[in-house]
Amino acid sequence: MEPGQPPEPLTPVAAPAAQKVWDVPTRLVHWALAIGIATSWWSVENKQMDIHYWSGLTVLGLLVFRIYWGFAGPQTARFSHFIKGPAAVLGYIPKLFSRDYRAAFGHNPLGALSVVALLVAIIVQVGLGLFATDTDGLFAGPLNRHIDYDTAKDVTDFHEDFFNVLFALILLHLAAIAFYLVVKRINLISPMLSGKRRGTNLTGPATGIEPIPLWRLALGVALAVGVVWLVAR
Amino acid sequence: MKMKLFATAAIMALGLAACGGGEPAPAEPAPVAEAPAPAPEVTPAATTEIGAAPADIPAFMKMRHDNYEDIGKNMKVLQDNMKLDAPDMAAVTAAATKIKGYADQMATWFPAGTGPESGIKTEAKAEIWTDRATFDAAVVKLQEESGKLAAVTDAAAFKAQFPVTGGTCKGCHDKFRQEDK
Repeated sequence: MEPGQPPEPLTPVAAPAAQKVWDVPTRLVHWALAIGIATSWWSVENKQMDIHYWSGLTVLGLLVFRIYWGFAGPQTARFSHFIKGPAAVLGYIPKLFSRDYRAAFGHNPLGALSVVALLVAIIVQVGLGLFATDTDGLFAGPLNRHIDYDTAKDVTDFHEDFFNVLFALILLHLAAIAFYLVVKRINLISPMLSGKRRGTNLTGPATGIEPIPLWRLALGVALAVGVVWLVAR
Repeated sequence: MKMKLFATAAIMALGLAACGGGEPAPAEPAPVAEAPAPAPEVTPAATTEIGAAPADIPAFMKMRHDNYEDIGKNMKVLQDNMKLDAPDMAAVTAAATKIKGYADQMATWFPAGTGPESGIKTEAKAEIWTDRATFDAAVVKLQEESGKLAAVTDAAAFKAQFPVTGGTCKGCHDKFRQEDK
């Protein structure tokens, strides 16, 4: 329907209705995490440690918000909605290749594992970074002063090595998106941009996720900023 | 935005492929409270002369490594205090004085035969020996700036001077140190 035109008396059925699957905060946090992690990688490779310090703390804030949103956000953002048992995960695989494949409302059971693995890996990476230091002791994570020199060296080595684990998970994430796009002809990128999904094979409520009261969003932002402030001060 | 993500991922993939090799285990430093300094063979001032090779090159290089480790430990004391509203100025002065002491000897730590050509694992680049004038000038800078740091008496002066002193470390490291990947 074009804006400014009077509503048509009959609803056209040609185009499938859009189902809202991802809310704005979830999408923003997703892309901000991608940018934050890329910036953290770039800055440390180029010895821009002041940028690395703040991109790391930004990722921490985004993580805090995302975890909170996993309990307080809309249906598809909630851990209880997408974390499934092994039976559901294994059962999803034959469904994925069946003729009447139906897209999950939000994360599918297998993709949910990837989401959890990515979140855990980012938590570990950021957690280590808070205690890490550069070789010269010129820049250090905000909590580095609570551990001694030798422990800090070990933590820093682990922080450096663990990025490979996080990076492997990111590649797996991208490979899965490519698989859906090429093999299943399902574009997962556009819903992560627009929030909406179209198709005839959708499951879940037709209109999608319900709006979340603004105060709950505000509380999450306050929580994220608060944690970063407590850590960095 | 879609493209940006893929571009980023591609760059990340390239970057990782470039440095994803196996990491050699770093030589275990022997932490000592009072790190032994190699006996100065030339006057501990800036000089563009390269000293003669020491008799025991591995021991000499080990001492040099330990000295840098000890500088790192003292840097951490300073870094820890940077994060405090009220830095422990006695600890700051002690750490800065130690670093200044090492800086005064540093020009003697790179005699002939103690570079990468020794075959011993070292982060010292050959440029230290081929561009000694620049290297020694960087050492003098560290002496000056660590001297200023050792002389600070209040928190504000410390917090202003620490990045300047640290900058002289970084300035030299960027040019003369091969960080092990």
